[in-house]
Amino acid sequence: MKNRTLHTVVALALLAAASLPSLAQDPTPLLTRSQDQLIAVLKSDASQKDKSDACRELAVIGTQAAVPALAALLPDPQYHHMARYALETMPDAAAGEALRAALGTLKGRPLVGVIGSLGVRRDTQATAALTKLLQADDDLVAQAAARALGQLGSTEAAQALQAALPKAKPENQLALCEGLFRSAEALAGAAQRPAAIAIYDQLRSNAALPHQVRAGATRGAILARTAKNRLNLLGQSIRSDDYILTAAAAQAALQLPGRNVTKLLAAELVLANADKQILLLDTLGQRGDPAALPALTAAAQTGAKPVRLAAVRALPQLRDAAAAPALLELLGDADRDISRAAQEGFASLAGPDVDASVLRLLNSDRSGQQLTAIDLIGRRRMTDALPGLLAAASGPNAQVRVASLRRLGELGSPADLSALLDLLLKANTDADVEAAEQAVGAVCAKAPEPEACVAQVTSRLAQAAPSQKGALLRVLAAVGGPASLKAVRAAVSDTNVEVRGAAIRALGAWKTADAAPDLLQLAQTTSDPTDQMLCRRSYLRLAANTDLPVDQRLTMCRQVAGLLQQGDEKKLLLAALGSIQSPEALPLITPYLEDAATKDEASAAVVGVADGLLRGQRGAQYASRLLEPLQKAAQATGNTDLAGRAKALLEQATNRARAR
Amino acid sequence: MSTHHVLTGGRTPAAPASLPSHAAASDSLTRRQFLRRAALTGGLFAAPLIVPASVLGRNGAVPPSEKIILGGIGIGGRGTGVLNWMLPERDVQFVAVCDPQKQRREAVKRLVDNRYGNTDCAMYSDTREFLATRTDIDAILSTTGDRWHALMAILAMRAGKDVYSEKPSSMTMAEGQAVVETARRYGRVYQTGTQRLSEANFVFAIELAKSGRLGQVHTAYAHIAPWDAAAMRHDWLPGQPEPPKSECDWDQWLGPCPWRPYNPTYTRGGWRGHYDFHTSCIGEWGAHTFAQAQAGLDLLDTSPVEYEYIDNPTGDGMVTRFANGTKMVLSRGDKYWRGSCGMRFDGPDGWVAVADGYSRPEVSSPALLEDFNKVVNDYIARTQRPMSHVRDFFNCVKSRQNPVADPVVMHRSMSTVHAANICMWLKRNMKFDPAKEEFAGDVEANRLRSRAMREPWII
Repeated sequence: MKNRTLHTVVALALLAAASLPSLAQDPTPLLTRSQDQLIAVLKSDASQKDKSDACRELAVIGTQAAVPALAALLPDPQYHHMARYALETMPDAAAGEALRAALGTLKGRPLVGVIGSLGVRRDTQATAALTKLLQADDDLVAQAAARALGQLGSTEAAQALQAALPKAKPENQLALCEGLFRSAEALAGAAQRPAAIAIYDQLRSNAALPHQVRAGATRGAILARTAKNRLNLLGQSIRSDDYILTAAAAQAALQLPGRNVTKLLAAELVLANADKQILLLDTLGQRGDPAALPALTAAAQTGAKPVRLAAVRALPQLRDAAAAPALLELLGDADRDISRAAQEGFASLAGPDVDASVLRLLNSDRSGQQLTAIDLIGRRRMTDALPGLLAAASGPNAQVRVASLRRLGELGSPADLSALLDLLLKANTDADVEAAEQAVGAVCAKAPEPEACVAQVTSRLAQAAPSQKGALLRVLAAVGGPASLKAVRAAVSDTNVEVRGAAIRALGAWKTADAAPDLLQLAQTTSDPTDQMLCRRSYLRLAANTDLPVDQRLTMCRQVAGLLQQGDEKKLLLAALGSIQSPEALPLITPYLEDAATKDEASAAVVGVADGLLRGQRGAQYASRLLEPLQKAAQATGNTDLAGRAKALLEQATNRARAR
Repeated sequence: MSTHHVLTGGRTPAAPASLPSHAAASDSLTRRQFLRRAALTGGLFAAPLIVPASVLGRNGAVPPSEKIILGGIGIGGRGTGVLNWMLPERDVQFVAVCDPQKQRREAVKRLVDNRYGNTDCAMYSDTREFLATRTDIDAILSTTGDRWHALMAILAMRAGKDVYSEKPSSMTMAEGQAVVETARRYGRVYQTGTQRLSEANFVFAIELAKSGRLGQVHTAYAHIAPWDAAAMRHDWLPGQPEPPKSECDWDQWLGPCPWRPYNPTYTRGGWRGHYDFHTSCIGEWGAHTFAQAQAGLDLLDTSPVEYEYIDNPTGDGMVTRFANGTKMVLSRGDKYWRGSCGMRFDGPDGWVAVADGYSRPEVSSPALLEDFNKVVNDYIARTQRPMSHVRDFFNCVKSRQNPVADPVVMHRSMSTVHAANICMWLKRNMKFDPAKEEFAGDVEANRLRSRAMREPWII
């Protein structure tokens, strides 16, 4: 189920490495001292670090008592930020008084900071002073004042900002716009919509302001309006030659429920250019109002392809089964992208009517429609379509039959096994047999106890033609178990060559060592060299299974070793032996060190065994028995790296043998 | 997979203006000189010197037929990974990078220029110069350290850019609120980099939890990073002489955070674990997994109302509860999954769990997994969201709709991070009102919802 990717491993390693400095240091508590102690630090000649720490803690626990010491630090170049850090979050009114008092005494960055803190605290008592600072020579001060005034959210502050905007230097315009946005939002929230609308209209009507301001103001102006005025501005903005206003209107429409809005967007859709049409279609889809269905359907049928695609993709977003007929019609569209998008959308629609449409397609006499239906049945996981699929799997069209069988395997259950076996026994082409075999195997695999299916499968062997019998034997091999093995073993004696060959291959594919004795015997007795080879190799595959007990694997290797003729098979044997963590494997390997064809693989096997043994808890015990094989392996192999590994292990084994 | 295709009959996407590197030039200007020049040359409002978006037909919003002009800020190791996801997008052109560290901006330029086979990628060291002058740029990839994420997103959106921001995307609740407000205010598209919200395995688990097939989900488990603590460091590393501003602008690197002396460990990633710069082990992965868990609980527009303090170094096992009684439990171990950024949903009828590296999610019953493709495909058809987080962002830049990890998703899941951190730092249970966005009856906790930003980096 789980497959840790290299990506994850690398990411974890990097994260771990990056965190080492923090791991190396103990974290400290957020709060360490009383307020009195912190104030004493501020008044002392403590270091900048200590005073900064005190301010950070006072930001959480400081009261009026700490204000004088903090206010004294506001003009200090080293501490003005940290003093403000403590004052800004302090609920006590004394903190606000200290900050306001500093407005008249500070300049530059410290003043900018104090203005910002007053804005955060929404200190309306600072309105007049902040209004005055809108005219400051220092642009950063004027900009901070504009943003802070906006944060106050009062009518008075808003009026000051509105008056300042036309006279503002270009450098300060955006900050004034920010302040005005903040004012408008506060006013709209305080039931002062006309005042908010006036601000938005001021911003959106000024073509010299940047696009984001005009966009935001357009959106705000639409949302702040009501009823007819809102729709009028929405339509006007969509029709604008300025795409940014159309996009802003589309964003506003996402927040406006109601059929009137849908109708308006649909009407504008007809008049818009392609870019706007895609934007409006996306918006209609996202809004999810079923009233958009006629407009989306029309747009999906004709026009530029990107526009049609946007419409097709918007249709399922309505989440309305009423979109099904439109999508159904588009399934057969000549453009493949359109038909595929329609198919994906149709598959996602819920409802019995949609399922019924799919079943009607499946019953069509047109194979193209049937194949589409079979794909949809899979995507929609329509288990109630199984009878239809069984019927289609017996139909005249080969593609439909195979597709139906595949879907039956996906959706079917062990309860469908009998019907699938019927289909398998009716199959008379290789493709049909293969598809039926896969379907039968798939439903058997879903059984809580797959071996319960074996009786049904074996009962059909007698009636099956040779190719079908082969398919059944392969299913039995996949299922496994004693009953399956008995049936396959019997088929090995079948008089039909095809059946006999299939049985031997089924044994060769067996997942457990139960089949090993049969394979060994066949390797010695069968007359067909190919079958002999298959049996030997399958037997070696089982011997390489590390899940089996070591002794059993050693026995299997000993038994097959004498039968091996070809170099490739000897290499398979050595691979199996190299993974057996036992000194008993070494005498079976070392003879192959003297054969030029196998010396490298034998050396690798010795290294594998030795490495495993030396890593184990009883490594020292085995060390002396590893010396000679490792020496021979190091000498025999022509592979430099392998020789190096053998020598390294030899040194390790020598040391451990001496220590012992 | 792109939702949109470039219109064959549309305007030919104009090549981005080839610009010289501005890094060296900007170093020789005072900030005030620069801002004045930027304003005069159209960086702010007047007639522009650089070809503006309006000339290219974009004017701040990218029609479906146009290319998206992309810039990058603070791109280091993680950012390079995201950039490598973005560069192959055929309707995206990366044109400039900004970073206070010379080595990093030059590395990005090399990467981009190699990709495009030219030398066009411009470099900037000053954020404000970059945002003000590059009016041709539609969208920003921001992958700074955590301390800058929210502020950078706000500055970029105010400058008319759409923003893809790495996470954790805020240092405080107040910063998160400001991101939400700014995106709404200027109609900007914003996506936070919680990319698992756009990965099939995680989408399946989320959709399964929402579907009711597990029954009414009563508990979600969310992974917190296993290597660090919830408590933070408050020490300063030993001060060293600051490098030249052209190499590393330390004041800008610190940004809104309290001043401390320069030490290169910080700029090499050693800022993690420090209170001023980091959101602890809870934020490190909670930025991802709280959004994932809240998505599966269909509670992305809120935060838990209760946080139970747990007396261990990390918050492992902290129980949080939403207003409807559903629990979200913080977990740092492999109890519920194996791999990073895991999550799990438990209901009366079953469970689903997933983490990075799974070939498929783990489920209580194999039958739940049989519908994997259907669940994911239905989600894609219903939402038109691709299984690519960056593509979802670019699609939304064109459609002006909200991406899957929009500002509200970011802010609410990060509010959960911040509340859990505050619970651990103050070592007591917390009650939180998501509507008012304040703690009930806990003044100290409420004072930790914001931190005064260092001027001039105030918002």
